Formats: sequence, structure tokens, C-alpha cells
Amino acid sequence: MADEAAPKKKKGGFLSVFKDIVYGMSSHEMTRHAVRTRASMEHLFILITMGDLLGIPILPPYYSLRLLPYVTPQIASWKRRMLRERDVTDVLG
Amino acid sequence: MNTLLAVIIGAVTVYLAYTLYARRIDRHVIQSDPKRATPATLYMDGVDFMPTNRNILFGYHFKSIAAAGPIVGAIVAASLWGWLPAIIWLVLGVSFIGWASDYSAIVISVRNEGNSLSAIAHRLVSPRARTILFIFIFFYLLLVAGAFVGIMATVLESQPRTQLGVIVLTVMGLLLGQMLYRWRMGLVGATVLTVGVTMLAILGGAWTEEIFKSLNTGLNNLAGGAPIVTYFDPTLANFKGADAKIMPSLLFWALAICAFCYAGSVLPIWRMAQPVVYVGFWLTATAMVLGLVGAAAASFVKPEVAQFVIPAFKGFNPQLGPAGIMPLWPMLFVTIACGAISGWHALFGAVGTARQIENEADMLPVGGGSMLTEFLLGLLALLAVSVGAKGAPVGAFATGLGGFISVWGVPIQYATSLAFAAFIVIVLVVTQLLFRVQRVTLSEWLGDVIPPVRNQHVASLVSIALAILLVLTGTWVYLWQLFGGANQLMAALSLLLVTVWLSSVGKNWLYAGLPAVFMYVTTLASLLVTAYNIYVNVYQPNMAAGRVIPVIGSGLMVLVALLLVAAAVIIGIDGWRAFQRYRHRPVQQPRPAAVRV
Repeated sequence: MADEAAPKKKKGGFLSVFKDIVYGMSSHEMTRHAVRTRASMEHLFILITMGDLLGIPILPPYYSLRLLPYVTPQIASWKRRMLRERDVTDVLG
Repeated sequence: MNTLLAVIIGAVTVYLAYTLYARRIDRHVIQSDPKRATPATLYMDGVDFMPTNRNILFGYHFKSIAAAGPIVGAIVAASLWGWLPAIIWLVLGVSFIGWASDYSAIVISVRNEGNSLSAIAHRLVSPRARTILFIFIFFYLLLVAGAFVGIMATVLESQPRTQLGVIVLTVMGLLLGQMLYRWRMGLVGATVLTVGVTMLAILGGAWTEEIFKSLNTGLNNLAGGAPIVTYFDPTLANFKGADAKIMPSLLFWALAICAFCYAGSVLPIWRMAQPVVYVGFWLTATAMVLGLVGAAAASFVKPEVAQFVIPAFKGFNPQLGPAGIMPLWPMLFVTIACGAISGWHALFGAVGTARQIENEADMLPVGGGSMLTEFLLGLLALLAVSVGAKGAPVGAFATGLGGFISVWGVPIQYATSLAFAAFIVIVLVVTQLLFRVQRVTLSEWLGDVIPPVRNQHVASLVSIALAILLVLTGTWVYLWQLFGGANQLMAALSLLLVTVWLSSVGKNWLYAGLPAVFMYVTTLASLLVTAYNIYVNVYQPNMAAGRVIPVIGSGLMVLVALLLVAAAVIIGIDGWRAFQRYRHRPVQQPRPAAVRV
């Protein structure tokens, strides 16, 4: 985590900076929306396996066992998103 | 005065404000620390909290804050008071207040775990401050939606050669969404196709001009040439006042814009809102970059389009109206909003940008840098209207910007079409997003009390109906100033919150506190002046003439103005108490933040 969080010095000249700025203006918002959509799907995914996470089988155990390995890595970020306080102005971001 | 000199003034302002003032505050007051972990790194969830490269974030923040505000505000202010007061306020506003507001909103969020301004207000000021802020935001959105729908409908109705471009933009936006998300086509090819076709439609607007003129005439003939609404507009006839008529064609275009915004509000965001914004970005960026560089080059290449033709100064209180007042203070300071300072920037910066800040050293270039760049956009609008021909402000702007673009060899009629289209596209894409946010705000605010409002269609239609009511009231200038007052007041409240926070952590609060006081007093005064103007100049004459719709609309505007004043007074009192509390007893310094390894 610490390594991931460390600031990365991106090398590149004027063209690289220009490309980043144009990307930020034109496409970064679209990327964020795509990521948000994926996160919503993951929430649903976690929800359907929630029973097994808690020890209460809801889906047939075979499917849950197949799904859990994909769900488990998402739990930490899912908890952060679900438990974070929200308000109306969050829509703006 | 010519455009080259103005561009030089703009460039020098940006350089001095950034290097001499902003950097000093960043270093000595905020003490941004590149080693300190930001919420984006601490709470990274891959979605909202995501460390992002500073250049990308600069582009993202700039594009999100640079909408129609800096353009429309400069146009209106130049036509009311002349270009000199407008340029002075733009320069001083952005140097001492504007960048500080944008930057501080990001700082306060980054230093408070990425919380929104309302959440921080709840913690630092008072619980009711948050509720009041929500109500405030709804009315603020309503005013800006009404102002934008009104000006777009007027421009679309009066400029038939722009209509084809807007229709094709909508179609291309829908097509782009389909191409990217359903057909999985490459972004570059889809962009070239959709932006290219839209550009051709804009430049070829003259081909369909007669068709759309006939449409307007046909619509008006349906009602036998009679207006739908007649109202007294005090800003007509050189502010002597005259009866204005809303014809069926104007209502048709207003409703067409609302239908566009309704679709943008309720359809999945990838289907329409987002691709339309994307296509619009390329069009407006093209026009603005060509225009800004053209403005600087025009003095050498085409001097006839570089000379200012409007008066430098028209007086301190030039446009009285039949019985109203329009004093330079406070009205200039709310008429030009976003190019100098804006509350929208603070709202967005705290929830959108702050959560992606990778490194505290990025806060200034992203927040302050974006605001200073937006100032240049406001300056470009001011230059365009100052060199443009006389006439309606938007027409003068398009003529002026078209002149700058024509420096590049584009025939003037095509350049002017592009300038008109750029104006409409900027306003249109912002308005559809506004209705989307307004719909959500309304659901959150009233959803528990009035359950039907939770339905997205009901909430969207209510928002649109209120905006149309404001449009039918007429007197667009007052509506714009009411929006400007709300917007600047939001900025003042944001600066007030920053002042309270700085006081709470024992830092020097003057760089935010003094602008907060100035903007707070100025905006409250402007809201009261606007309420008075609307009541005396619009409400009373229309009431005397027995015109129902303008009376309801202007009554609503007066009510909104007074509600905003009341809300601001309550938050101001709570903020002052909190400030005094922390000033005499600062809260304990928060425990040291995690440090990057």
C-alpha cells in the first residue's frame, strides 16, 4: 500500500503534459463514470454472496465457493465505499 | 485599448498572482507537505478516492469549473458598466479572492479526510448549517438553470443558423455513446467522426437557416401572431422599459432545450449526458483556443478586429430602469461571477477534485492554477464583447470571437457561426448536468416529506417547470444577477468555512477571512438590490397590468432572493460564533497524518 501510495514522478516533456491535460479535460470524467459503474456492479456481486461471507448460505454453496475468490479482494474497498458518509453534494463529484 | 494589451495584462496577472501571492500562502500558511498522505492515498477505493496525476487533475478540474459563467458574466457586465470596471474586477478578483477560494476548498477537504463542505460545516460550524446549505444549493441550481435556459432559448430563436448544429450535436452525442459503450468502437475514430460531423453542421448552419426561419414563423402563425405571454421588461429600450412578448417560437425552443435536459437527466449518463459533453468539449476548446491566440495575434495580423469599440466606463449607476437601481457596487461583483470567483468551484473542488489529489504539493497548481486559467476564459469573453459590434450582448460576443477566429484565415461568417455554436454548446451541456444534479438534490431534500419527488421523472419535471416559470417571467438580466448573487454567496460561505477551519487549527486566517467578509457583505447587498429591482421594476408594473405569469415568476424570484439572504444570515451568525469559539480556544491539532514511505 505504501509503495502504491508513494508519489510517482512521471517523466515526460511538454507533449506528455499536454496529453495529460487534454485527457483530463476530455476523458477523465468518462473514465470515472465507467469505474463507478463497475463499482456498482461489484456491490451487487458482493451482496449476492453476502450470506456466505456471514456464514449463512443463500446461494447453493457450489456457486458461492466459485464466486468468493473474486469477491474477497474487493471487500476492503467495498467497506470503505459503503460506510463513507455521503450527502447531496457528492453528486457533483 | 486593444486585445494584445489586454492579453498581456491577463498573462502578467496570472504570473504575479501565482508566484507572488498564491505560492506564499501555500508555503507559509497552509504549509502543504508533499510527504503527507492525502485522502486519495489513505482511503483509496479505486472509484471516488483515487490518486491522480496532477496534469490530468488540472484538466479535469478546469473543464469542470469552466462553464458558461465566465463568458456570460463578462458579456453582461461589459454591456452594463463598460469594459474597464469589468477588467479591473476580473484582475483583482482572481488575484486576491478567486484562486484563494478554489484552492482553499480543496485544501480544507484534503485536510479533513476528503469530506464535502457541508459535512465540514456540520462538524465545525453547526448541524443546521448543513441543512441550510442543501436548501441553498437547490435554489442556486434553480436560478442558474432558469438563467441558462432563458439565454439559450433567446439565442436559438433569434439565430436560426445555429439550430442545425445543436440538433446534430445531440444526435452525435447519442451516436457516440452507442459507439463507445455498445459497439465498443475505438475512442479516436468515434471522436473524429462525431466531432467532425458536428463541426460541419455548425459551419453549414447557413444552409438550413431559411428552413428554421420558416419553422419559427409557422409556430408563431399557429397562435395568429399573438404572444403567449406579455410582460413589462424594465431592461428593454435602453433600460427605459417596454412591453416584451414571448412568442410561441421562443417557448418552443425553451421547451426543446428542456426536453434535451430532461433526457440528459433521466437517461443513463453514458447514453447521453456524458457523450454530449465530450463532443461539446472539442468544439468549445477549438473555438476558445483559436479565439484566445487569435486575440493576441489580431493586433498584428488583423488590427481591425482588435480595437475595443464599446465605452470603457458607462458610470457608477448607469442603468437605472424605470425605478430601480444598478450600482456598480455590489452589482458588478455578482454579475461577473466565475471568471473572478465562484461558489460552484468550491463545491466541486471539495468533493470531486480533493479526493483525487495525489500529493499536497498538487493542491495549488490544480486548484489555484485552474482558477487563474478560467480567468483567462473570462478575459477572452470580455475582449470578444468589447471588440464586437453593437447589439445584443451575446451577438456582440459571437461577432468579436468570430473576428479573433478569423485571424486564422477562416471566413468571418463561418468563424461567427462557430463562436455562436461554442457559446450555445457550453451553456447547453452545463444546463443538462444542472438539471441532473437538481433532480437528485430535490429528491434528497424533499423525498422523505413528499415521496413522489423520489421518482426521477417527477423530480426532473418539477425542476424544469420551475426553470420555465422563471424564463417566462422575462427580465433575464435580473435573473442572471440573482444567480450571480447566489453563486458568489456560496463562495463567501466557502471562504467563511475555510476561515473557521484555519482559526480552529491555529493558522493565520486573514487570506481567506478578508475576502470572505467582502464577498459576504457584497453578495447580501446585491441580493437585496436585485430583490428590490425585481419587485419595483417587474412585479409591480405587471401586477398593475394584471399579468398573472410574470407576477408569479417575479414573486418567486423575490422570494428566492429573500430566502437566500435569510439562509446566509443564519450561516453567517453560526460561522461567526464558531470562529470566535475557535479563535479563543483552537481545537487540538489533529494527530499527525500518515506519512508516505
